[in-house]
Amino acid sequence: MGRKVSAGELIEAMPVDKLYFNEVIGPPAILNFQKDFADVFQSAGKRMKVFDPMRVAFMPDHTVPSCSIMVSSGIKLMANFAKDQGIAMYKEGDGIEHTIASEEGFVLPGEIAVATDSHTCTQGALGSLAFGIGTTEAENLLATGELYSFTAPETIRFKVDGALGYGVYPKDLVLHILGTMGEGGCSKRIAEYSGSTFDSMDMDGRFTVCNLSVEMSARTAIVNPDATTMSYVEAALHGRGASLTPEQTGMIARSDDDAVFSKTVHVDASRVEPTVSLPHSPANARPVSEVNDPINVVFLGSCANARRSDLIVAARILKGRKVHRDTNLVVIPASRKVYNWAMDNGILRTIAESGANIESSNCGPCFGKHMGILAPGDRCLSTSNRNYKGRMGSPEAFIYLGSPATAAATAVEGRIADPRKYLGE
Amino acid sequence: MELRGKVAKKYGDDINTDYIIPAYLLQESWDKQFFADHAFEYYDPSFKTACRTNKESIVVATNNFGCGSSREQAVYAVKYNNVVAVVAQSFPDIFYRNCLNNGLLPIQVEDTSKIGEGDELLIDLDGRSLKNLTKGGQYAIIATDSAIDQMKKGGFMGFVRERLRTRLASAT
Repeated sequence: MGRKVSAGELIEAMPVDKLYFNEVIGPPAILNFQKDFADVFQSAGKRMKVFDPMRVAFMPDHTVPSCSIMVSSGIKLMANFAKDQGIAMYKEGDGIEHTIASEEGFVLPGEIAVATDSHTCTQGALGSLAFGIGTTEAENLLATGELYSFTAPETIRFKVDGALGYGVYPKDLVLHILGTMGEGGCSKRIAEYSGSTFDSMDMDGRFTVCNLSVEMSARTAIVNPDATTMSYVEAALHGRGASLTPEQTGMIARSDDDAVFSKTVHVDASRVEPTVSLPHSPANARPVSEVNDPINVVFLGSCANARRSDLIVAARILKGRKVHRDTNLVVIPASRKVYNWAMDNGILRTIAESGANIESSNCGPCFGKHMGILAPGDRCLSTSNRNYKGRMGSPEAFIYLGSPATAAATAVEGRIADPRKYLGE
Repeated sequence: MELRGKVAKKYGDDINTDYIIPAYLLQESWDKQFFADHAFEYYDPSFKTACRTNKESIVVATNNFGCGSSREQAVYAVKYNNVVAVVAQSFPDIFYRNCLNNGLLPIQVEDTSKIGEGDELLIDLDGRSLKNLTKGGQYAIIATDSAIDQMKKGGFMGFVRERLRTRLASAT
């Protein structure tokens, strides 16, 4: 670790610091690891062992509590393997992998983290290099802790300056950016976010922006770690009685002064409006003020949003109001910690009294398998990250993406609504 | 190393892995053929039949084929329908690496606009060229040396096993 590389350079074997699995890819990756490497361990006279159990964590989150016999079998397989290997296994409902990986201090600034999910780029908000991998790379990593033939990507710098207006959130900003870049606009490149907008953005917002960067095909996203990052990380570690070691502190890196970017995209955040992405592309962004379509399902959840600040603004809008009679609102906090925090301070009560369905922490209907699957003709406003045809159920449903504030306002009105009128100046 | 195949399907930009294999199926089997049986079932129900008609099929697209989710099942869904290669103008990294790891050739060329369904293609990995045997036309394959090497070997598995063997031998 610690070697300097330049864009385009081929790294034959790149050691990773952290590896986490969900229950979608975890079970086949474990089975393949056992199948493809058993004889190598056997002929070396060694017990089958992952490269370093302390660097691995299992986080079942996509369809939990389990919604099918196969899902249950997969989670059981992961739990047994975790126990045998000494790997940390989180419980169903502890949270969405990308939320808990940072919230628990599992992934740290400066680390290389990979996981079996494309939204692993969320960890870039910590200033770590994090991205998704497939099943085969996951089994290889279990064996050796290395990623092979990795080409160091180029970087596009997004220089974002200005204050977001009231009722405008990091989600609106990133949907706006996706709209200008297109689904392939950042292909093979890292999206690096900087500028005064990011300097003053909280961690929840940075996670949201990094999360959605993969929707413009970014290799990953990154925000330079600063005082905001460090106080978040210290609090996360403090929560489990730990603190940054000198070695971990030494890994923290910022963009070099002489860093080379393949291009710089300037964004004036003060001009961004509340934004929604229309069916069926995350890059199909429009200002909320231009859209008024009826909506019968609202989902506030996923690894994109549903953290503390997201639930605060939703509760502010829903307080003393009722969800529209033709609309079903599903709210899923992003982790058990967020859920319990929202319970303690009355936010869950406010949301429940509005007529919402609140579920324990998991990916929910964003994965299209449970907790609010869309029927043909349904129109859904979701705070998640993908509105592909069929993503949340029927391919004949229509999905719109928006911020938690837009989601709450939309739930009240039963049609896409501008949240600003509910928030006041 | 040369491979021939017939273009069974041609698609446009941004075919995402949710279209290739819907998420609700991912946890329901650990058998790769299962995903091939459900390939493109919402997006293009004719995919399976079209690809299975040929012994060696090729899928062609314009930009960003395989974007979105990291699910490797999308590669199984394509490959185990007799597909030997996907030819496109660009691929996102995760899908590209998943292809290399499974011996499905991700062939990047600058322009796929003149290639159509039914065309017979010849892929020459050593010469790094793609030839359209039906309509004529030759295209340079864009790939790093290492990617070409993995395409010829069908993935990294041999290398990773060797790496693990060395590590276990040197560990006390």
